[in-house]
Parts: sequence; C-alpha cells; structure tokens
Amino acid sequence: MSPNKFFKHEGPWSDANDPLMCSDTGDWRTKRPVVDKDTCIFCGFCAIYCPIQVMEMVENSHFTPDLAFCKGCGICAKECPKNAISMIAEGDF
Amino acid sequence: MTGKKKGKLTKVLDYLKHEDPFSKGVAFCPGCGLELLLRFIPQVLGNDIVITGTPSCSAPVLLGQNNQSWHTLSYFGTLMTGAAANATGLARYYRKAGIKNTVVCFNGDGTAADIGFGNLSGAAERNEPFIYICYDNEGYMNTGVQKSATTPYGASTTTTPFGTASKGKNLRRMNLALKMAMHKIPYAATATLSDLGDLAKKLLKAKEAKERGFAFLHVFAPCTTGWGYAPENTIEVCRRAVKTNYFPLWEAINGKIRMTKTVKKPKPVSTYTELMKKFAHLNEADLQILQDDVDYEYCMLGGLSTLEAECHIPESVED
Repeated sequence: MSPNKFFKHEGPWSDANDPLMCSDTGDWRTKRPVVDKDTCIFCGFCAIYCPIQVMEMVENSHFTPDLAFCKGCGICAKECPKNAISMIAEGDF
Repeated sequence: MTGKKKGKLTKVLDYLKHEDPFSKGVAFCPGCGLELLLRFIPQVLGNDIVITGTPSCSAPVLLGQNNQSWHTLSYFGTLMTGAAANATGLARYYRKAGIKNTVVCFNGDGTAADIGFGNLSGAAERNEPFIYICYDNEGYMNTGVQKSATTPYGASTTTTPFGTASKGKNLRRMNLALKMAMHKIPYAATATLSDLGDLAKKLLKAKEAKERGFAFLHVFAPCTTGWGYAPENTIEVCRRAVKTNYFPLWEAINGKIRMTKTVKKPKPVSTYTELMKKFAHLNEADLQILQDDVDYEYCMLGGLSTLEAECHIPESVED
C-alpha cells in the first residue's frame, strides 16, 4: 500500500504510518457465499458490487471470496446474473 | 475450464486503476452502501487525494481510533458546520503552495443539506477548486435515524415516527443536487451505486472540472440499518430508485442540465417502497403523494433539460 502522502503526522490519533487497524469481520458472517465454478461466467459483477471488495479473481476463470473478511451480506449472490453464488448458513460447514 | 461459456468482464473494473487504501476488515455494517462508495472513490481518483469530512458514519473509519488508522489516505476531520469552509482552506493552501492534488470533501446529507449547507453554498458561489461528495442516505443514520431535509415524504424516522400523532415525515424532500446545479458551478451530478460505470465517469469528470472550480456529486447510498431492508438488497434498492425515477441520474455543466440515463417506462414508486420498512406503513393516499412528488421532480428536471438545450448558456468566468 502506498503511504499517506500529504500529512507527515496525522495528529494525536489515526497515524497511518503505524500498521493499519483491521477487524475480524469474517467473524460476523451468518451465511457464507459459495461460488459454483462451472456456472460462473467471469463477468465480475460480484467483485465490483462487493462493499468490502473481497472477491478475488482466480486464474481468469472465476471469482472467490476472501472468507477472512467477507461479512456475508449476500450482495454478490443477489447481483450474480447466473445465480452462481449461493448463501449457505455457517452452521453447515 | 474447457468448453465453459465465458461472459465479458465488466468494464467497471477498468476504472479501478488504483489500489484500495483501506484495510480489509473495516467496521461498517454488512451490506453498507457507504463502504462500497468509500472504497470506490480512491480506486478511481487515485490514492493521492485529501479527504476532509465530518462526524458521520464515515468518520469512525476515516478518522481512526486509538492512534491507529483504517486507511492510508490523508484525512482531515472537521465540524459539520464548517465542512466546505475547511475544504476551501485546504484547496487554497495546495493551490498557493503549488502542490497538485485533489481535495475531496466527503459528507453525508445531514452536513450537505442541513447543517453545513450555508458554507457549501458559499464555497460553490466562490467557485473553490475542490470536489464535494454528498452520500445521501436520507437522514442522520449514524446518530440513530433522525430525519433530514432529503428524507422523502412519509418516511418513518425516529423524529418523524409512525403512530397516532404522526404518519412519518409530513413534508416532501428537497432536491439538493438541483439546488447545487442552480449555483451554476462547473460540475454538478447525481449518481448511484447500481451504475458504477456512470459513477466512475462522473468522478473523473468532477476531477477534471475541479481545475475550473467547484464540483458537486450527489450519490444515493442506501442504509440497510436505518431504512430496514435486507443487506443483500443494497444494489437492488439503488436500481429500483433509478427505474422508478425516484432518483434520476443527470449532470449539469455550468448549470446546463443533461440526463445521463433516461428510463423508458418508469415503474410505479411502490416497487421501490415495498423493499423497505421505513415506508411499510404508507397507504394508497400517501403513496400517491410520494408518486406525485417523484413525477413532479422528474417533470421539472426534464423540462429544465429540454428548455436549456434551446438556450445559449454562458461559460463560467474563471477566477
């Protein structure tokens, strides 16, 4: 990541020269998006609409979510034109 | 992989030229429209922007907590009453010092339409060289869903609840973007999250217009918690808002309005209101008032854009 460019020090709080804060947002998830690789047509709608931007490209063939940070909102499953993503309850894993 | 039918990769990904400056796990609600917008802006405009903002849902993340930060952008936190005045100072400093960058004043509708409207109007009138982005979630969502000037007619909020004495907000919403276009600034536009290509184009146009002066963007960003809809519907809510003409997409260059998306057969506004809880109590008569308001605003916009097409609009004089 490129460092903060304009403020050398950001005041008493929020100094971006320190390591960035990061919540364990994958822990919030109640439903997990599961991508069907064969149905996926690699259009990228899930990747652009994902609020957390965790959909990762895999070898120009399909997308897969980063489950460490996916909050399980279900936007990817809703916006997929081929319904290739299904939301499955975390208890089933 | 062989024999698999492949679609075309969406063109929106071409606009995302820069890296995402935010850390992966950021404390926004699941399905938050604001988070998508906030991650989208630096990916399109570049990480060399200075954001200035006010107390709102964006502030806990943009400001950071306990001497740590959620992102690597330069952020300047300020008060709601002086957001645009603060951005003015920053933009003037960088101009005077000869540093080339983009100042983005990023606020909610509470700051833009209510509390900070005075100095927003002033900065627009002085044609200050920065981009003002208002993310419109139609209320004060961070403090507990109070109504703001852009809250639509009939919406239930904590200050205009549905009950025996009150039936939701009793006044129609104000059109902030049109008001800003009437300042005849170099660029004013509305955008939403269902059409990210359009949003990216408008962001880049705003960055270009900033060289000539004030650029204003009004982005419709729904709030899953405050409006009461399922988190997966965020983009669907935006899409239906456009398809019902509830939130028409247009841009105004030097005050000249042009529709960027025209809906051929607009759907009734009830297809939009049925998605969320804040409109759940509306009866036929209330819905008709909301529909009439939507039609009135769209008719007014359409009238302005067609009438203006026949006029010669003078170019704004640069300061």
